[in-house]
Amino acid sequence: MTGQKQTQAASDGQSPEDGRSHDLQKALEQRTGLLHELDHRVKNNLQLISSLMLLQARHAHEPAVKTALEAMHERLNAIAVVHRGLFMTEDPGRFDIAAFVRDLAAELAGARPGVRIMLDLEPVAMRTGHAAALALLINELLINALRHAYPEGRQGEVRVKITRSGSEMRIGIADDGVGMANANQEQGFGLSIVDLLSRQLQARVAWEDAHPGVHVAVTLPVEAE
Amino acid sequence: MNAEHPLRVLIVEDEVLLANELEYLVETSGAKPVGHAMTSPEAITLARETRPDLALVDVHLADGPTGVDAAREMTEHCGAIVLFITANLRRLPDDLAGACGVMCKPYSENQIRQALDFIARCMREGRAEGQPPNGLILSDAFARLWRVHHAA
Repeated sequence: MTGQKQTQAASDGQSPEDGRSHDLQKALEQRTGLLHELDHRVKNNLQLISSLMLLQARHAHEPAVKTALEAMHERLNAIAVVHRGLFMTEDPGRFDIAAFVRDLAAELAGARPGVRIMLDLEPVAMRTGHAAALALLINELLINALRHAYPEGRQGEVRVKITRSGSEMRIGIADDGVGMANANQEQGFGLSIVDLLSRQLQARVAWEDAHPGVHVAVTLPVEAE
Repeated sequence: MNAEHPLRVLIVEDEVLLANELEYLVETSGAKPVGHAMTSPEAITLARETRPDLALVDVHLADGPTGVDAAREMTEHCGAIVLFITANLRRLPDDLAGACGVMCKPYSENQIRQALDFIARCMREGRAEGQPPNGLILSDAFARLWRVHHAA
């Protein structure tokens, strides 16, 4: 080190290493700030799309259009619930699926008076990248049960159970409604979404007519803890 | 909500579509929207004029991240109770600038309705019945005021 440099360093109380680490620190803070700004924009935009859908649903005269918009709004809402949960945990790369289901169930709880949602959830962390797909899958199954298993004010209970064993997670959604024989046409689209998403998640979906009701079991691989 | 004395609500949000949606939710919850502001000076002026019971306030307004200061002003000088509705939790100070609580975007219409209902009841009765609804995070001061016991 030359004498001149030493004097400089001494004058501001910093070694060149301190200066570099200060620059790095600043760059890191800037990046973190950008990430937070991006997170904030995504959440705001989700809110905007949600409001637009509701706005149009309210203005729609045709019942079929209204129903379609409301169903899309529910799907968007499931993704919004995921985003609400992101960046809230210690590890931003992991996502707690049990926390998501609790939040979603609270959302859907009022949707069908007379039908209760009971939860029995083991916390299972999964990669954030898979969260939206799994959220949509669970949303379809839960809404399918709430909407189609209890026609004409029938009362009952939908049980959601999440367990983990080794490298597999199992999500059970069990209703005590009218059963599979009563499945109807408009369920088709939702169930094809279930089919597509389960392929993406490498999940197996098993349907069982349980008399009473339908039990659905979704089994999918999760990484080891 | 009490039909004779509906909760009077000021909406402070710079996204017009969101403000419009909030207004609809306020109305259909049995409360009464008394105005909409997009900047902090507008918010404070409107709050002075209309003396709302409750102000729903975003952190980011048309004039920048000014929602926090506007909230403090409305709480301390306009007699309003503030509820933040924001995607920007990190920008909020620990005491929530005197606000009663915060809801995170993206919220659902159910959450807003339940929160309005809960707050209206707390204001009427001076205390909460049970836990706040899903999505509503109360400030420590208001949790104490409304005697909400944090669930273990």
